[in-house]
Amino acid sequence: MSGLDQLRRDLGAAMSGAETALAAADRLCLACVEFLEVDGASVSLVHNGSPQGTFGSSGELSRRWDALQFTFGEGPCLDAVRGGIPVLAADLADPVEQRWPAFRGALLESGVNAVFALPVAIARSPIGALDLFCHRSGALTDRAMTGGLLAAELAALPLLDLMNADVDWDSAGQSEDGWQQLASLERVEVYQATGMIMAALGITGTDALVRLRAHAFAYGLTASEAAWAVVERRLALDGDDWRVQPHLPDGGTP
Amino acid sequence: MTGTREAEVARSFVSLASSLVNGYDVVDLLDELTSDCARLLDVASAGLLLADGRGVLHLMAASSEQTRQLELFQLQREDGPCLECFRDGTPVSVPDLDEATDRWPQFVPAARSVGFASVHALPMRLRDNVLGALGLFGTAVGSLSDDDLALGQALADVASVALVQDKASADKSSINEQLQTALTSRVVLEQAKGILAQLGGLEMAPAFAALRTYARHNNLRLTEVAQAVVARSLPAQQVLDHARSRGSSRA
Repeated sequence: MSGLDQLRRDLGAAMSGAETALAAADRLCLACVEFLEVDGASVSLVHNGSPQGTFGSSGELSRRWDALQFTFGEGPCLDAVRGGIPVLAADLADPVEQRWPAFRGALLESGVNAVFALPVAIARSPIGALDLFCHRSGALTDRAMTGGLLAAELAALPLLDLMNADVDWDSAGQSEDGWQQLASLERVEVYQATGMIMAALGITGTDALVRLRAHAFAYGLTASEAAWAVVERRLALDGDDWRVQPHLPDGGTP
Repeated sequence: MTGTREAEVARSFVSLASSLVNGYDVVDLLDELTSDCARLLDVASAGLLLADGRGVLHLMAASSEQTRQLELFQLQREDGPCLECFRDGTPVSVPDLDEATDRWPQFVPAARSVGFASVHALPMRLRDNVLGALGLFGTAVGSLSDDDLALGQALADVASVALVQDKASADKSSINEQLQTALTSRVVLEQAKGILAQLGGLEMAPAFAALRTYARHNNLRLTEVAQAVVARSLPAQQVLDHARSRGSSRA
């Protein structure tokens, strides 16, 4: 098994078994500290450019560091969400570092010399960021960067969960390998089904994806399986309670 | 090579070359290219898998909308000839799938169950980078001829060139960024297809045809039309009506 596969497994395993979305996010942040050689981690949510708060953290200190961005209205997390790209500050004390003067000063005062914000996206729209904090200055190693990007993807799972109160986190977190769930997010049938739900219910792509995943969780399906049911029209999309029809004979396009 | 086929090959390359010179939509071009492969080569189906920045393969284009075939392409994220071809950067030929069951325990049964008997995977390369793989599926046992393999590789090479539009800065991260853009365009296209399919009671293939017809007749890029449908700045009904009036919703 490659180191990357192991890292992926470790991060995913850290979240499974968490009983709430918030606990899962906290565990993911703790796993970042354990596996990525960083001193703190947090996940925060941003909606329409304004911060919605810290969603998960590796500890009280990280939570406070994260919240500083919301106090000052500036920081790498907000920039990462705005741009949809990682925002890296490997040396906050470097005089050429001109970004976020207030946030930077406060972080330096509390002994943080480097911060890295990686966007967390649902349906490709950035909705938050994973922040990694380091006492020492210096760039993330390739391994830590890759692990951070993996963790940022994983962080989307509890966020999806939070966005829909009906989701049964227990079955999502315990019975499914988080990575399997995430992989389904990248599959064409999931996007086709998302489009169909958008049209049927007149909702946004993100909301449609949440609906699809909520349905999948509730019926113990993967997102991909639920998507096939939509695309093959075995799932009636009208109303709140989607009804699943029996599986059509294989290969049959209805 | 028969005379007709030669003419068809020439036509395909003329059309691809003209796209590369005059500007093109990546998703549209790659979709055409997989259709070209299925038509010109002795294969039943063709699909392009592209790697994202983490080396995970995604379906970028396929000659068929048939769901079980799409599934087969995507399954190769875990195992299969396209994954192996992508990892090694060299062609993988499997003239008889039945002899490769041990090699790909997931992929072979899935491929057999949808009627495929052979598969050839060709790498998509740009200089030192392997971008993904072109998978060619046949319903009969046997190897592709050298001519077919060479033609397939040429088509895969065109796809690689088309994907990385900014070749001046062809370092790894710039390439990754461009591949990501292409993959994102695909996502938007799939969503737009879903919207049209739902609204018009269509299967995915005619929904795609409707988008394409609308784009061509209005001189727009396919990705632009898909984005406008998803953003609801272009009413999906307008695209459907247009396609119906042209009688192309059955294309």
